Amino acid sequence: MTVAEFVARSGYTVFSEGEEREIESGYCGDFLSNIISRATDSCAWLTVMNNVNVAAVATLIDCACIVLCENVAPDDALAARAKQLGLWVLGAKENVFEAAKTVAKLCNV
Amino acid sequence: MNECIRLEYDVDGENFASAGHASESVKRTLKQMGVSSLSVRRVAIAMYEGEINMVIHAHGGRAVAEIYPDHIDIRLEDHGPGIADISLAMQAGYSTATENIRSLGFGAGMGLPNMKKYSDDMQIESTVGEGTTVKLRVDFEE
Ligand SMILES: Nc1ncnc2c1ncn2[C@@H]1O[C@H](COP(=O)(O)OP(=O)(O)OP(=O)(O)O)[C@@H](O)[C@H]1O
Ligand SMILES: [Mg+2]
Repeated sequence: MTVAEFVARSGYTVFSEGEEREIESGYCGDFLSNIISRATDSCAWLTVMNNVNVAAVATLIDCACIVLCENVAPDDALAARAKQLGLWVLGAKENVFEAAKTVAKLCNV
Repeated sequence: MNECIRLEYDVDGENFASAGHASESVKRTLKQMGVSSLSVRRVAIAMYEGEINMVIHAHGGRAVAEIYPDHIDIRLEDHGPGIADISLAMQAGYSTATENIRSLGFGAGMGLPNMKKYSDDMQIESTVGEGTTVKLRVDFEE
């Protein structure tokens, strides 16, 4: 499922938009170096981190989208950088576990 | 054969927000040169981790990248506190990051292991109280 389709189905908030692309897997984590080493290509990355370094890491791992969980919103620097880079940043009210279930169910990953 | 593109950067130790600027610039240059996306990714990750380490552990430093047709040499030099026990620092999960730094998402103790994993050669020279120099080489795949 593409990120845009996922947004429509999940009802998640869109903080920043990117290009059309498929969500092919998922990864949950807040420690940036773990994510760099373990996240898979085109994943939905679920996290509660909301600072600008998230954008740099998302670019390095080439994730399909960032999902900020637990009502977290990007800070100003992350919001600006994500727009500039064209990264999908979504927001979920759910905790990381529940959001992961949503991604798994809707995207069949 | 000594023809290379040399890029140099000051890595600002005060500004966490701009951290990653040097590796981002090198990545862009390699892409433009047509280096394979796998190699670009390896370089970007290894250099990003090294750059971040200079910012969070050493008040910044200097990064130099020399791009050759078949590989890149990266040198990350700082005048921070140095690393007392390099083999301990290299262990996955070892970190001296403060709570403050952890709250930004750093401090898993995976940066140096990632640099090792994504480079073809890595050398660390460090003297406590004087600073650290990390040299990375990444070979470009065919
Ligand atoms: N340039 C440096 N100057 C001084 N100490 C360093 C430097 N680079 C690494 N270290 C030391 O080595 C430890 C391990 O580094 P490593 O990059 O693996 O983990 P980290 O930076 O603590 O966390 P992470 O990289 O996962 O965010 C650091 O916690 C720090 O004590
Ligand atoms: Mg590190």
